[in-house]
Amino acid sequence: MERKDKIICGILLSQILKNTHGSCWRVGSDSTIVIVARAGPLLASQYVCNIKMGWHWVLLASVLVHSARSDVHGLKTNPDTYKPSWVYKCDPEYGCERSDQPSQGHVNATNVFKSLDLCRTVCGRFGGMWPRPVTASLSQNTIKIHPNSIRFDFRDVPLEAKEILVEMTHITIANLVAECAGNVTDVVATPVVVRLTVKSPSLTLTWDTNEEYYLDVQSKGDIVTVHISAETVYGARHGLETLTHLTASDRPVYSTEQRCGLHILAAATVRDRPAYGHRGLVLDSSRNFMPMVDIKRTIDGMAATKMNVFHWHVTDSHSFPLESKSVPQFTKYGAYSPHELYRTEEVQELIQYAKVRGVRVVIEIDSPAHAGNGWQWGKDYGYGDLAVCVNAESWRQLCIQPPCGQLNPANQAVYRVLRRLYKDIVDLLPKPALFHVGGDEVHLGCWNSSEEIVNYMKHKGLDTDVEGFISLWAEFHSKALQKWDEEILASGGEKQPVLIWSSELTQPGRIQNYLDKDRYIIEVWEPLSSPLLTQLMRLGYKTISIPKDIWYLDHGLWGKTKYSNWRRMYGHLLPREPTVLGGEVALWSEYIDAQALDTRVWPRAAAVGERLWSDLRSGFAAAEPRMQRHRARLLARGLRPDVLTPAWCANHDSRCF
Amino acid sequence: MKCCGETGVRAARSGRGGAAYCARVARLRRALLLLAAAACTAAALLYWRQQTDGSATRPLHNVFSGAEPEWTWLCRNERCERLPAAEMSSLQSLPTCNMLCASTQLWPQPTGPVSLATAAVPVSAAGFALEVIAAPTHDVADHLEDAFSILREDLRTLERQIGDTKRGDIGPAHEVIVRVSVNGSQDVRMRIDTDESYKLSLRPEGSTLVAHITAQSFCGARHGFETLSQLVWLDPYAGSLLILEAATVDDAPRFRYRGLLLDTARNYFPIGEIMRTIDAMAACKLNTFHWHVSDSQSFPLRLKSAPQLAQHGAYGPGAVYTTEEVQAVVRRARLRGIRVLLEVDAPAHVGRAWAWGPQAGLGNLAFCVEVEPWSAYCGEPPCGQLNPRNPHVYEILERIYAEIIELTGVDEIFHLGGDEVSERCWSQYFNDTDPRDLWMDFTRRAMRALERANGGKAPEMTLLWSSRLTRSPYLERLDVKKYGIQVWGASRWPESRAVLDAGFRSVISHVDAWYLDCGFGSWRDSSDGHCGPYRSWQQIYEHRPWVEESSGGPGVGLTGESWRIEGGEACQWSEQLAAGGLDARVWPRAAALAERLWSDRAEGAAADVYLRLDTQRARLRARGVRPAPLWPRWCTHNPHACL
Repeated sequence: MERKDKIICGILLSQILKNTHGSCWRVGSDSTIVIVARAGPLLASQYVCNIKMGWHWVLLASVLVHSARSDVHGLKTNPDTYKPSWVYKCDPEYGCERSDQPSQGHVNATNVFKSLDLCRTVCGRFGGMWPRPVTASLSQNTIKIHPNSIRFDFRDVPLEAKEILVEMTHITIANLVAECAGNVTDVVATPVVVRLTVKSPSLTLTWDTNEEYYLDVQSKGDIVTVHISAETVYGARHGLETLTHLTASDRPVYSTEQRCGLHILAAATVRDRPAYGHRGLVLDSSRNFMPMVDIKRTIDGMAATKMNVFHWHVTDSHSFPLESKSVPQFTKYGAYSPHELYRTEEVQELIQYAKVRGVRVVIEIDSPAHAGNGWQWGKDYGYGDLAVCVNAESWRQLCIQPPCGQLNPANQAVYRVLRRLYKDIVDLLPKPALFHVGGDEVHLGCWNSSEEIVNYMKHKGLDTDVEGFISLWAEFHSKALQKWDEEILASGGEKQPVLIWSSELTQPGRIQNYLDKDRYIIEVWEPLSSPLLTQLMRLGYKTISIPKDIWYLDHGLWGKTKYSNWRRMYGHLLPREPTVLGGEVALWSEYIDAQALDTRVWPRAAAVGERLWSDLRSGFAAAEPRMQRHRARLLARGLRPDVLTPAWCANHDSRCF
Repeated sequence: MKCCGETGVRAARSGRGGAAYCARVARLRRALLLLAAAACTAAALLYWRQQTDGSATRPLHNVFSGAEPEWTWLCRNERCERLPAAEMSSLQSLPTCNMLCASTQLWPQPTGPVSLATAAVPVSAAGFALEVIAAPTHDVADHLEDAFSILREDLRTLERQIGDTKRGDIGPAHEVIVRVSVNGSQDVRMRIDTDESYKLSLRPEGSTLVAHITAQSFCGARHGFETLSQLVWLDPYAGSLLILEAATVDDAPRFRYRGLLLDTARNYFPIGEIMRTIDAMAACKLNTFHWHVSDSQSFPLRLKSAPQLAQHGAYGPGAVYTTEEVQAVVRRARLRGIRVLLEVDAPAHVGRAWAWGPQAGLGNLAFCVEVEPWSAYCGEPPCGQLNPRNPHVYEILERIYAEIIELTGVDEIFHLGGDEVSERCWSQYFNDTDPRDLWMDFTRRAMRALERANGGKAPEMTLLWSSRLTRSPYLERLDVKKYGIQVWGASRWPESRAVLDAGFRSVISHVDAWYLDCGFGSWRDSSDGHCGPYRSWQQIYEHRPWVEESSGGPGVGLTGESWRIEGGEACQWSEQLAAGGLDARVWPRAAALAERLWSDRAEGAAADVYLRLDTQRARLRARGVRPAPLWPRWCTHNPHACL
């Protein structure tokens, strides 16, 4: 409200001063003032304006025009000249706002822009950047550039890192072109030289990778010089990403023009580093299949948001779409159809696709629960039952949702088969391989229903009570991890910790007996009210936080779950402890497939992205204009993000609270 | 009627060919045969497994030519079961199993008797031919031809999805001759009194199939085409369209107003999104596209009679609907038995679009436009309300109404909007009059403008949103003969029922059941928003307010007369929805409403409803709509297993 005082009333006063017919009176009983000023025909505008004086004083000011024609039927404007086009004005403190009147022709006043995106790029201390960098100082001026005139200088890049960095710059150019929907029509020759400095030749991406970068943009005369300096290629990639956040097209969203020019801030300095090293997104491609093209688009969105872990929950009891060259039965018996599986070559390509976008792919083969279809062929091949309760009809007794299925820990062939699967995955993943063993929601009733398992437990001297089954469960993980380690070592790698979901097994009192804190990182998906995260921190376990009641993207569609909008997701803070590696946001796909993927994930996942990168204490209101810009950015890059508000609110920052 | 379903394609594949894919054996004989076959298979399998169990394990790879999964579906106990293809000697696809096994797969479920064959024959889109046996006018005949082309185009779209599948040896495609007779209405439009009933019969005659569709109106006949198209499916294994060999369907809707509202003002939707929505509505036999075209946020409708509204009110030149585009929507809808109810909301829910009055010398057409603090003057930002005392307002409204009627051809139903007036806004300017009297006065004058726009005659039913004006003592002052009320309040609010008890014709859109926008939190802060949670398709389906007890018994008002419920409507407001997210938000939930209003079966979301809706979702998908899934694909693959 206070903003209105400054912007509009400034204009209003100047007009009233110019115009001696101005008059003012007070009407009504609730502190309302209406000013009706009669202006000359040139001031054909109406302003609505408010002033905060005490509490809600509302000042309505109308500037009326004497029109020669008052006959309503004589008013038809020629539809051919019709143009409801608007311009956007930046108030540095309050954001961008659409003009009150449709404008004809172009505007050259300062702080007035043809497109909202351009206004947002300039407006505010952090412009249109998402996630917000640690520090930034941005110029208020922009320069028109063209992607064809951008040159990258790799002289300060180690030879080992050059190839991937070149690929990264190709993505940058593509993202810039996307701002103009594929065609930057305004060709300018302004040279843009981007000097890249990378210190480390290493291409590994882990929690220890330094993702820090420094970005500097300067323009002297008719040359734009950009310097991006980083320890690693991944830091440099983030710098390139930020560079695209300093640019915008001048074509309005609802335009019919073909013409499109690309603008960059004339000067900028950005220093930036992430708060958390693990900034992830879980995608479930088992309940419903997600085509590769949709997964890649999701990774595009992650890259735009500087998220760095794609946690691929690729299998579940429903389906097993991940091809294994060594065990073709998994997909033969587990995929929904020949069109709904991920070929090894496609997965390799995806991993590379993610890597050049600074994203590490974590494959999760959930076990021992959440495994069924894909494992039901054991008997036919002489391996016995690899899984039990598979597709059992009385599912309510044997699992939490149909179809049931749990691996058979009594059958040693399971570990042999797992090892062959693990070998294929080790071959796929870049070193050091990050693997997720699942480990959640073991239904003890399922195992208890299997004679083979109960006999095995008796033979091992385990009671068939809760603790006995927990031991069996832990034994499964221990044996499976051993197989994973064997394959890692065989491939020349070193033992690495693996990720595991929180469960009854990870409760304090049990976890110390069963899971080695150097070998397991616990992904805690308990609700916010649960003390587990803090307890595990105290016990010294490394954790990743994914509070289900707030960071699950499928909630609100089913049962009693509740939808969290981006603001609520954004508002949640994680503990700042070295053992809390970061967080993830999750899309489980029971009620979502590729048709609704984007709108479910974006832009809400980006709220978590900024939480994990910037970890700001300021609330969502301050972030909203940048979030609106980021949503537009994702749209320009071919995603289908949900809208946050009516477009009117996007056009009037801070007017809709 | 159900016999030897799963043998249809199998017989064809094994080369017994010809028209007789499926010998009509008695149910018992078939069951016995099946049992025997199953027993043999089981015995063989057991024997084989015993053989293999003893030996060493088989190698994991190189057993198959590849990792290709292939499933076959078998109808057992009226349920389709998924089995690995390797275990069966022949393949049956899921759609074929679903169509031939147990329940019908029609959506919405017809209200009259239905009998369906359980044998299928191959057809092709090109093999469908129309014969108009009777039509009251050339216009009706022309529309039948056009609607039939749509049917054929839908089938062609399905055919194109065959891709490079190998075509099974199932014999040549049969021709389908569709003989249609319309006796009755000469009006092709969906009218409030249109008889939408139809009768469909499909019979083999020699080597061709003959479908007879009889209806009392073009719209009824069109529904018959739609049902006929639901008897056709794509068999991916056969690589061909199949159709049930014979069918009879006798059908008529329970409610005559079956609507879907789309708000294109809070966020703009390109015309293609609207066209696709119309297509999806037609597939579900919804008959009213309620287009909430304008609101305080924007006015995208570019009217010839008042171009200033869009000029000042549209989000941009690329966010307008031209009259040509509206006509294209109307045309598309008309051929699909759908009326377009174009609503320009007034007197509240207006904004910047009306702010040009002073500059044009017309005085203030609207007050409180984008006023702050908004929360004092409207329900959501930005505010704006028409000036009820400015005669120019009514002149402009009259022109808008006349152009809407001309554009849509709908003149027996009209929607004036009329909700959520801020009394405070008006009291600032007119402290001499009770704002609700102003509101009542506005409504009367808008009604007179509508009558003038409609050639001096009031539409049969002029809809108003329920509001404070539709509560006592104002409700009594509204003419029960002229007005209908669209009841959007919660079903348990007393004022929602009072409207029905007072004898008003009504369209039900209860916010607690049929608002599709709820459940996504507030769009202004981090709270839950005003109308959460999300309404699942099951909740939408199970809402039957008309069976609730009222004072005089189920569905009976105070005066002893029955409630005059014309139908219902699902509302998709767009504060938090834009192009790209539309389909998955609306579908298949609006389809659930469609069956509630068409069939109104007393059962709730029973097992067969899940399965039929899943099939309907696949149909929508095939027509290019992007509906959300009902559940994991595994549940589709294993019908009944998730229930």
